[in-house]
Amino acid sequence: MKALFQMTPIELFKITTKPRSYIGFLAITVIVLLIEFAFYIDGKTYLQFIMQTLEQSFTIQGNILNGNLICFIILQMLIVQMPLMVALVTGDLISGEAAGGTIRLLLTKPVSHANILMAKYLAGSIYTFLLILWLGVLALGGGYLVFGHGDLMVLKSEELVILRDGDILWRFLGAFVIAFLSLNVIATFSLMLSCFTDNSIGPIITSMSVIILFTIIGTIDIPFFDQLKPFLFTTHMIIWRNLFDNPLPKSQIITSITVLVGHIILFLSIAFYHFTRKDIQN
Amino acid sequence: MLLQSTVRKPLVLLLFVLFYSTTYAQTAKQIIAAVTKKFGLVNDYSAVINMQFDIPSVNLQKIDGKVFYKKPNKFRIKTQGIVFLPKQNPYFAITALSDSNSYTAILSGEEKINNSTTTIINVIPNSEGDLILGKFWIDKKNAVVLKSQWTTKSNGTIQIENFFGTNMAYALPDKMLFTVDVTKFKVPKAVAVDINSKSSPKSSNASGVKGTGKITLNFSQYTVNKKLPDAVFDETKN
Repeated sequence: MKALFQMTPIELFKITTKPRSYIGFLAITVIVLLIEFAFYIDGKTYLQFIMQTLEQSFTIQGNILNGNLICFIILQMLIVQMPLMVALVTGDLISGEAAGGTIRLLLTKPVSHANILMAKYLAGSIYTFLLILWLGVLALGGGYLVFGHGDLMVLKSEELVILRDGDILWRFLGAFVIAFLSLNVIATFSLMLSCFTDNSIGPIITSMSVIILFTIIGTIDIPFFDQLKPFLFTTHMIIWRNLFDNPLPKSQIITSITVLVGHIILFLSIAFYHFTRKDIQN
Repeated sequence: MLLQSTVRKPLVLLLFVLFYSTTYAQTAKQIIAAVTKKFGLVNDYSAVINMQFDIPSVNLQKIDGKVFYKKPNKFRIKTQGIVFLPKQNPYFAITALSDSNSYTAILSGEEKINNSTTTIINVIPNSEGDLILGKFWIDKKNAVVLKSQWTTKSNGTIQIENFFGTNMAYALPDKMLFTVDVTKFKVPKAVAVDINSKSSPKSSNASGVKGTGKITLNFSQYTVNKKLPDAVFDETKN
């Protein structure tokens, strides 16, 4: 356990030394600021377009364009893309060492293979957490700063759910926790793939391809795909949106969280099984 | 002689019908005048309001706020959150009826509403405006409108049911129930950034389908005729 705590900061340091680790932070910063700027300039027009059918019948009163809405829209747009940013780093954790030739040196340390893998997993998880935290600070913090507080109008294609201001923050915190779990699934999946290869490109591209494939299957409304959807982890990764439903679909959320945690355990177990038996020959 | 008799009979009948309908029209206007006179006692009021919403495709929790009214047509509901309100203020019709020369009123029978006998009066505006037809269920005994239905060019049909209690003397209801025509809410998934949602086959065919939305306004703690300042109606101030 002591070795694990000693190894984790070292692995985290290794992540920070790689330029690719900053791509995610940079991309989030640019995208979030761009969205906030666009909504600051033209948000009212965008909302008028969405609300036009209801405004024929009602006068809608209150501050619709607020920090909560901006954060929700950003989460909807970004959470689909963020797995790619995570895989870019976590897919390189083991295979990067193999490609750089440092894996042999790493494994000669008086630390078990399991501890090394666990330290890498923890470092990857901390990186994922920081990415989510940065997104939260920019999207929610920035949103409140620029647009202020207000009731959240959850935009759906066929429904509007309006949640009161005092009933929102815990939902965002929950959404960020689920987003962390979802990204952790990607982190462990790419880490698992990383254990099987000696170059970083393979796990990163494979992770991205799987995410894209699953997301496409999840988006298309075809009965055959509907049968597959419950088995895809990407289906459960978007469960954070259900935290903004009223009433809360608790059982659906718990099921999805269980599935996500199950995937993390499964991918980690495969990674452990393979890595602890891995014979480093060159 | 015969000709005189055959001409006189229909003439008498016509005069009778004209006299009868004129009398009835005057009676309808008198009933309306009694209602507007009673409501005219209210120069201004403020009250606590609780709003409940039952609008298709809109999931909106109930909310509390304050409501302000000042003669002739200043009306504001002040809340801390997002609310959906009817397009017209609730006293739009009564204000419109205060000028008895601007409409034609026709009595259309009687109907019982909540154990009160109401007289039904149809109102047709004399000049072209947003209001096409108004129908009022008036409790003559208390000179209050228990139900009204307006057909407008811009918003279809709007129905208001009034429930009176402690402020009957001022014709101020404890509860108002608005029923409004609503077009089904639907926006493209990409515009709503809702790419992962699954649309049900039933709802995907229902674009543009009309339904009715209900808004319930519960009033309490009325403060009447206390000379409300105009500043409370300034929408820019919270």
